[in-house]
Amino acid sequence: MIELKSIRKAYQTGSQSLTVLKGIDCTIEEGELVAIMGSSGSGKSTLLNVLGLLDDFDEGSYVLNGQNMDGLSEKAAARYRSDFLGFVFQSFNLISYKTALENVALPLYYQGVPRKERQARALSFLTKVGLADWAEHLPNQMSGGQKQRVAIARALIANPSVILADEPTGALDSVTSDEVMALLKEINGEGITIVVVTHENEIANQCDRIIRLKDGRIEGANA
Amino acid sequence: MMDRDTWLEIFHTVLSNPLRTGLTGLSIALGIFILVVMQGLGAGLETGVKQTFGDDAANLMEVETGNAQLAFRGRKPNRRVELHNADEQAMRSQMDSVPAWSRLVYRWGSTVRYGNEQGSYGLRGVDPDQREIGQVNLTAGRFVSDRDIDQRRKVAVIGGQVLADLFPRGTKPEQAVGSLIQVRGIQFAVVGTFNQTGSRWENRSVYVPFSTAQKLFSNSDVVSRVAIGTGEASIDDTRETTTSLTGWLKDRLVVHPDDAEGVWVDNRNEQAEMYRQIFGGIRLFVWFVGMMTLLAGAMGVANIMAIVVRERTKEIGVRKALGATSGSIVAQIVQEAVFLMLISGCIGLLAGTWLLQGIAPFVEHDFFSDPRVDFRSALLALGVLIFVGVISAIGPALRAVSIRPVEALRDE
Repeated sequence: MIELKSIRKAYQTGSQSLTVLKGIDCTIEEGELVAIMGSSGSGKSTLLNVLGLLDDFDEGSYVLNGQNMDGLSEKAAARYRSDFLGFVFQSFNLISYKTALENVALPLYYQGVPRKERQARALSFLTKVGLADWAEHLPNQMSGGQKQRVAIARALIANPSVILADEPTGALDSVTSDEVMALLKEINGEGITIVVVTHENEIANQCDRIIRLKDGRIEGANA
Repeated sequence: MMDRDTWLEIFHTVLSNPLRTGLTGLSIALGIFILVVMQGLGAGLETGVKQTFGDDAANLMEVETGNAQLAFRGRKPNRRVELHNADEQAMRSQMDSVPAWSRLVYRWGSTVRYGNEQGSYGLRGVDPDQREIGQVNLTAGRFVSDRDIDQRRKVAVIGGQVLADLFPRGTKPEQAVGSLIQVRGIQFAVVGTFNQTGSRWENRSVYVPFSTAQKLFSNSDVVSRVAIGTGEASIDDTRETTTSLTGWLKDRLVVHPDDAEGVWVDNRNEQAEMYRQIFGGIRLFVWFVGMMTLLAGAMGVANIMAIVVRERTKEIGVRKALGATSGSIVAQIVQEAVFLMLISGCIGLLAGTWLLQGIAPFVEHDFFSDPRVDFRSALLALGVLIFVGVISAIGPALRAVSIRPVEALRDE
């Protein structure tokens, strides 16, 4: 599903450049639930950005779903994101003035799906994450766990091959964290590949495999 | 693209900070308001001036004689120059075809009597073409005809004020036609009435056939004035005609070529052209000031959009992560700016129109009448608003497009 070969990435900070990824080789198979761990500054967020086509890389190659992702234009990247990828963020990033239903339906809006169909599909995904009764609520009327479930429904609605989750439980207490992880595992059980970036061992241990990053390199083997 | 979600986005942005939106909207509304009001006042000035000076058609020339100042070919200075019937006929025969031609003799302060009522009015002996040249607006009956001229009939066409003064209150124009009136002690039949809107002078006049007036009231064959319609002739053509006609008249009436007073050929086309230029200048000025005000407002809108984009950096990043293309982001921001400008622009337009209509009845004056906004200017103003709205949104929109989706993932 995902194949990275000697990915290198440097940021230009003032006059000197800071190499964040120093040659990443890794393969993630279809249907895997993988955790990426590492201390801050290890390059794990940058790696997730590269995986999510949110940032480009300097060297190496990235094959997603059998297609080469080198040197994409911004427009092409937007299309691949929309077709293959779903995102879950630490701080949920729901749009505050839209209801849960509208937030879930938003990716379909950008795919040009008619409003009626958007709403129906959004409602079915909200039902899947157990929030059908909250469809008309605004994000600030919901708890953190509920918001993250709305965000997961939003990530799922465009039928992605891969879900990229950046610290999905970072803003949640342990009980809700477990609920969210249970939901992610359930989704993974349906065959969707999931990559979770986390610094919590408890979360990482629930995954099939852990990729540990240190100083821009992959450190360990399988857990 | 403009479905419910688009509108929701627009409303949210516009309403999220009502004070800021209100102030920006106010600057746009004020810009349009000033534009509309100034434009309306300009139009009022133009209408007023036209009504006061412009009773007659603009496409005409008038020939008059005066006092020659210079000695010439044995003639003394400071002598009266007269245009006689023979001169007038010679002048007409040497000119190319003219669209309209009317001789005039005047008798100011002529006593006109009907029954026991009498008053002092301007008497004008004219040819039938005067109806076209003076743009006489008949309210009943007919104007002076060729047969009236040939037969020197004693018929009169009276102005609205004459009718109101002499005839019993409530007499309709058609009732006055056929009445007999005394003009300078001689009996005339009223064959028509007219009313010139906005012109007090003309409504105090009585038109009679030129031939009748010259015979009965003038004791000579002097023509006071000749009015020549120029039809569709261009301004340059009329200038040329004016020059050649002046030269011909001076030669025939023995007036020195440099004499400024002996012979007058007054080209109204030239005056009309001057007015056109003056009012063209006023209009240009009004638009210039209005545009500058609008520009200031547009900068306000550009500013508010820039702030909105900055505030929503994260949201725009998230949208991109969810598949929004640069085009859809630009479209959204431009729509918001145009929406804001159109709403506030319409408010300014309505307020301006309302003010002009409100004050119109109270500001009637010789040089000012009926201020109004014409529909075309209003449409043009709206078009300009949309254009300015798009322009003012482009900067902020491009900034929004340049936001990298990476920003969305970065938690502070």
